[in-house]
Amino acid sequence: MKTRFLCQNQLPEFLKILQLFGELHGPTVTDAGVTAFAALEDPSALRLDYQRTQIPPKKYLIPFREELLQYRDDTYHQNEIKAPEIVLFGVHSCDLEGIAYLDLVFLGDRPDPCYSARRAGLTLVGISCEPDDFCFCNGSFETAPCDLFLTARQDGFELSVSSAKGEAIASAAQHLLTEVQPFPQTERPTCPIRPQDPELRFSENPLWDKFARTCVSCGACSVCCPTCYCFDVREYPSLSGGGSRLREWDNCLFATHGEVAGGNFRPTRLERLRFRFLHKYCGFTPLDGMTSCVGCGRCKQLCPVDIDLREIIDTQPKTTPELP
Amino acid sequence: MSQTSFGIHTPFAATLLERRDLSADTALFKVAPEKAALPALSRFVPGQFVQLSVPGAGEVPISPADLPSMDGSLELCVRRVGHVTEHLHHLPAGSKLALRGPFGTGFPIREMAGHPVLLLAGGLGIAPLRSLLFHLIRHSQEFGEITLMYGARQPKLMLFREELSALAAQGKLRLYLTVDFAPEQPAGTFSCTVGLLPDLLKGFSFDAKRTYAAVCGPPPLYRCLTVELEDAGVEARRIFLSLERRMRCGIGRCCHCALGQKLCCTDGPVFRLDELQQIPEAL
Repeated sequence: MKTRFLCQNQLPEFLKILQLFGELHGPTVTDAGVTAFAALEDPSALRLDYQRTQIPPKKYLIPFREELLQYRDDTYHQNEIKAPEIVLFGVHSCDLEGIAYLDLVFLGDRPDPCYSARRAGLTLVGISCEPDDFCFCNGSFETAPCDLFLTARQDGFELSVSSAKGEAIASAAQHLLTEVQPFPQTERPTCPIRPQDPELRFSENPLWDKFARTCVSCGACSVCCPTCYCFDVREYPSLSGGGSRLREWDNCLFATHGEVAGGNFRPTRLERLRFRFLHKYCGFTPLDGMTSCVGCGRCKQLCPVDIDLREIIDTQPKTTPELP
Repeated sequence: MSQTSFGIHTPFAATLLERRDLSADTALFKVAPEKAALPALSRFVPGQFVQLSVPGAGEVPISPADLPSMDGSLELCVRRVGHVTEHLHHLPAGSKLALRGPFGTGFPIREMAGHPVLLLAGGLGIAPLRSLLFHLIRHSQEFGEITLMYGARQPKLMLFREELSALAAQGKLRLYLTVDFAPEQPAGTFSCTVGLLPDLLKGFSFDAKRTYAAVCGPPPLYRCLTVELEDAGVEARRIFLSLERRMRCGIGRCCHCALGQKLCCTDGPVFRLDELQQIPEAL
């Protein structure tokens, strides 16, 4: 069986084909110097050598703030959801796994209409990556869910199609592709997340206290996490009589998260840190037992006080993965 | 009938029919949802909750304090304690509201059949238990003896006092009332025990092995009451507690009502005690 191959020098033409399927977005560097997924009006702004963006692609599916309902004429109305067709190019497998997890949450029982509309308009083109010191994914990038996946090979990319949409793109780009012999599978260095020892969750591990003493509850680790999706719902009346109900990203590290009338169920940083860890690594109803950490390394890279949860995860001494 | 996917965020329109003040800060609101809501809202189980929208203020989770009625109206017992409830308390009859639900698990009324049931309410915790009490009374032939122990801070804060006394006088239930303290009361008015709910339980003899207990009240009450109940011989798997968390979405997404690895809105708000005993932050 042959495999389809895209030569490096055909990439600009390939991106033009992708633009036929929607607005092209991909990793780039903003004017502020931040690596981010953004619209690529000029495809030469694409930075495929990136390690990770600051904000994961969840922003395409769950905007930081979105209107759920409008209140007018004595009733609440759901507005028509306008979801643009977007081709998100150059997504690493960890972020693809993150989207797969969000799909389970938002498209499972009682699908979320806003998420569903945005997800339907999103075409995902994944790309292989080279891990750095912050990465700790399980390296199963062949199985990462997407429409099309590009594995970097010498002088180009090997294409793997995994959906009808992906096949449509590959067909449209047929003239840019060549058929080659399949590449031998390469071993990828991994630093997988080890299965959790339940005792660790609320154990007396002194590391928890150490983390809690340094944590500033800034919430950066949740904001940059590809699978954190907590939200708050707020209602804003308008002066003209109506109003709108919005949902916004929320953060379980904020003291307000566990508040109830007259109390707080997670008043200390220690409790909130443990709660986040518990949810991330041991799952939640109905995804109990499912680790949602994809090992992208953002939380470790962005933490202002260098908290590294891997210290707790790794019961054995940490080994640095060997780079190829 | 569950709401359509389009409707998971969109509440049904509803109208505030009337309000009855129960204490200085607590009132019973009778709310009538639109016809389209009846298939869903007229089938709630005592202990489940609805999301009540006060336009311009937001949504709050409230457990109905009565049973589903023929006309679909709900009685919601609400204390003025936060942003949304403050707005609600200022609304006149006829005001427009909105409702979603019902959500969550209710009390296990099927499982309780054939057993004596002990209801323990502290303060505003009487609201969801009143719903359960009405169910037990309506189907009293299916249940063993019905007992309600209700504690409030002081006599004037005891909600539904006349109503409960009247039901007890008709022999529908055994009623024990207690207050934390009783300031001066004119002679000939209401009287009850002065003391805490767990104290009331101490002197109570009942068939503990077969009894189901349903508890609703403030968290400190749970911590001591559950110990007393287990000491009295009620099994943890037969003790049900209704917990309060700030459910934002009601459908297990927003994670605001998380306790450990469970969500109050979908796994609860009514939990079995033995489930909660595994969760350090639950009570």
